[in-house]
Amino acid sequence: MGDPVPTVKFLGLTFNIANDLSVLLTCLIVFLAVFFLSRHIAMKPKGGQNVLEWLIEFTNGIVKGSIKGNDASHFGLYAFTLFLFIFIANQLGLFIHIQVGEYTYVKSPTADPIVTLTLSFMSVALAHAAGVQKKGMKGYLKEYTQPFAVFSVINIFEQFTDFLTLGLRLFGNIFAGEMLLVKVADLAKSNGWFGYVYSFPIELLWQGFSVFIGSIQAFVFVTLTSVYISQKVNDEE
Amino acid sequence: MLSHLIIGASGLYLGDMLFVGICFIVLMALIASVAWNPVVKMMSDRADKIANDIDSAQKSRLEASDLADQRRDALSHSHAEASDIVADAKQSGEKQRATIVSDAQNEAAQYKQNARKDIEQERQDALKNVQSDVADISVAIATKIIKKQLDPEGQQALINSYIEGLGKHES
Repeated sequence: MGDPVPTVKFLGLTFNIANDLSVLLTCLIVFLAVFFLSRHIAMKPKGGQNVLEWLIEFTNGIVKGSIKGNDASHFGLYAFTLFLFIFIANQLGLFIHIQVGEYTYVKSPTADPIVTLTLSFMSVALAHAAGVQKKGMKGYLKEYTQPFAVFSVINIFEQFTDFLTLGLRLFGNIFAGEMLLVKVADLAKSNGWFGYVYSFPIELLWQGFSVFIGSIQAFVFVTLTSVYISQKVNDEE
Repeated sequence: MLSHLIIGASGLYLGDMLFVGICFIVLMALIASVAWNPVVKMMSDRADKIANDIDSAQKSRLEASDLADQRRDALSHSHAEASDIVADAKQSGEKQRATIVSDAQNEAAQYKQNARKDIEQERQDALKNVQSDVADISVAIATKIIKKQLDPEGQQALINSYIEGLGKHES
């Protein structure tokens, strides 16, 4: 977790190499995992297919928990990919931390607000797009004046808070986790050999907890995404 | 340390956002083609198959119980049929016996009557024969007696008288 970030300017856009490499690595891991789990698909599932089907049932369960009716099936793939991506991204920084010189090149991509806010932006954009598609532009805009016209200010404001809290919650959890891991590692190095002895169980404990947090945050992110989609798609009762 | 986290401090990392977004969409497309579509299709196929199996099992069970009912009905029918057949056979046997007996009786009566008729005929014939025989014999006897007592003249006279008698008889 170095202070300076390796950046590259390309076509007038600034790229953070650390983020991009981490994202690419996460995508690669997710793809390879899914690829090898789905090699032998049969009517009678075994091995990898069972794992994959369990994961699909799990994310479908999250989606169906908040989105009612037929609409849920459209968002299964998004929820599945999102969950796997965030889960792997959260865990990535716990065991891989490649630092070259003063730059960190590979870490949890979700420990960067740009990445998490991009993910939350995608989720919120998908929710709005689904709302427009389901109810038409008129119905979609009408939702903002519910239950009274005055509420439209709060409703519009809510869209921004949804977007920000969704992204920043994930970022905060993972960033804090990584930061503490780095601090515990610094602690180990600071007191000679004895430092390694007492910081080992702390690091171990915190890593285990971070795995837990990373899983919970992936679950929470997907759950909130489907809740936001359901708010746009489902009829108000 | 947090300098790069403040959006705008080193410019909005629009490149990162684009990169993350594109990576995610490409990942989603790859997962869709490699795993999601086939697995979800297989899952729905399996659900269909299980539903079909349950339905067909239900159907087979109903068919089996129908068949069992049919067999049971057929069995009880066959009992009734068998007793019907036996009763019919008995009845027709009885009838046949009666006709045979009555035929035999009729025939016997016929034969008896025929025999009686034949006997009567025979008797009549025999009587007739006997009558003609008696006449012949008496004529023969008479001839013999007469032959002994008549000489040719006497015979001539007798013939003549007979012829005369014939003529008288004729006139």
